[in-house]
Amino acid sequence: MRIPITCKKAAGVLVALGLALLVLGPGTGWGETLEVTQPNQYLYPDPDFAGTPMGAVPAGSRVQVIRQAGDWYKVNYQGMEGWLNRQAFPTPPAGSKFSLPGLLFGAPVKETTSDEVALAGKGFTPEVESGYRQKHPELNFAQVDRVETFKVNPAKLDAFIREGGLNP
Amino acid sequence: MRSRIHWLALLAAALFLVNGCAGASVLSAVPIAATGITKATQASRPINDSEEYYVGRAVAARILGKYPLDQNPKLTAYVNEVGQTVARKSTRPQTFRGYHFAVLDTPEINAFACPGGTIFITRGLVRTCATEDQLAAVLAHEVAHVAHKDGVNSISKARWTQVWTAMGAEAARQYGGVAGNLVTLFEGSIDDVFKTIVVNGYSRTAEETADQEAVATLTKAGYDPGALPQVLDKMMAKEKGASGGIFKTHPPTSERLAKVKAEASGAPPSKDEAARTRRFKSISG
Repeated sequence: MRIPITCKKAAGVLVALGLALLVLGPGTGWGETLEVTQPNQYLYPDPDFAGTPMGAVPAGSRVQVIRQAGDWYKVNYQGMEGWLNRQAFPTPPAGSKFSLPGLLFGAPVKETTSDEVALAGKGFTPEVESGYRQKHPELNFAQVDRVETFKVNPAKLDAFIREGGLNP
Repeated sequence: MRSRIHWLALLAAALFLVNGCAGASVLSAVPIAATGITKATQASRPINDSEEYYVGRAVAARILGKYPLDQNPKLTAYVNEVGQTVARKSTRPQTFRGYHFAVLDTPEINAFACPGGTIFITRGLVRTCATEDQLAAVLAHEVAHVAHKDGVNSISKARWTQVWTAMGAEAARQYGGVAGNLVTLFEGSIDDVFKTIVVNGYSRTAEETADQEAVATLTKAGYDPGALPQVLDKMMAKEKGASGGIFKTHPPTSERLAKVKAEASGAPPSKDEAARTRRFKSISG
């Protein structure tokens, strides 16, 4: 069957456009600005809490996202590049590209038993904890959950520090 | 041919759209997917923040199976305020799910740092402290153990290598449920950590490093770093005749005390300590 020249051209353009978008898209898509909504967030040199923080990023700060790796975002904050954990902005604003998890595309990895990538990346998961709990019903995970609710309101902590003559 | 080209175009556009929505480079998909396969066959890699957190939860559950939580909400809130004040000045101000502090309802004198940031202090140790600064010193020392991952570092290398082997095997057969082998290895890891932080104690080096960091953290926070040797002194006085608990897990030896005193001696004077002691006494009773 013969394909009309115009049709071939159109298809070629579509392919070129698609490939161009594929290659350039992520680059042009980056640079989205997100607002840090949680207090006590820090910029890290590597995507790992174990590193020494480069500095604090107060709640309300706006950061420019450079890229994402799992639960971590490489960002630019006031000219400083570093990594912020996703807990800094647990609920991205409506319309944000970051609102949809894309497992194979580097978005936060879902910890599901059927997910081979998650399995290979994480040895001890909620599912493993669940299996452990079934084996040890005598352990008090309900109390652990309760302890994890013990939090200090940031404003209250600031007042506590101030009243005690401590360093903010 | 035409339809193949269209399919290619559609695929490319779809990939872009998916990628755009997900907010990450499609180029990163390859390394991530490949990493999944490669890592499963690796002998070992460091435990990550999320795994550390789940190990910490299980260790905390075991501790809470042994000691009940103190039911005084004012004391719990106060200990959390002091704990958060020092944690934010530590070398690891944040963890995967944050720091949480709790008081155990027992007259025993002890404190435990679970991996990931849950820290327990017994009512007996709170009573041993005479000031807020001394309480802060104990908590800063425990935060330093979390910061240095001293708990998870006690998981034997052999066991962690087995975790990787198990993960590779499970991934290869598409993983249809909770892997019994991983649960068993998790159980063994919890045993390793529990034995270290509750039964045998950390190494002398880990203790001394935690002391050094606690002194630095207290100074940064504005507390008196001299409070650490003070509370160690009190523990040494109570140690006479005692052998278990904190005297085994965090032994307050005279050598350790001398080192901490030397480290704390150069710190600037802390202001408002009297006010902090007043609030400590009003809450700790």
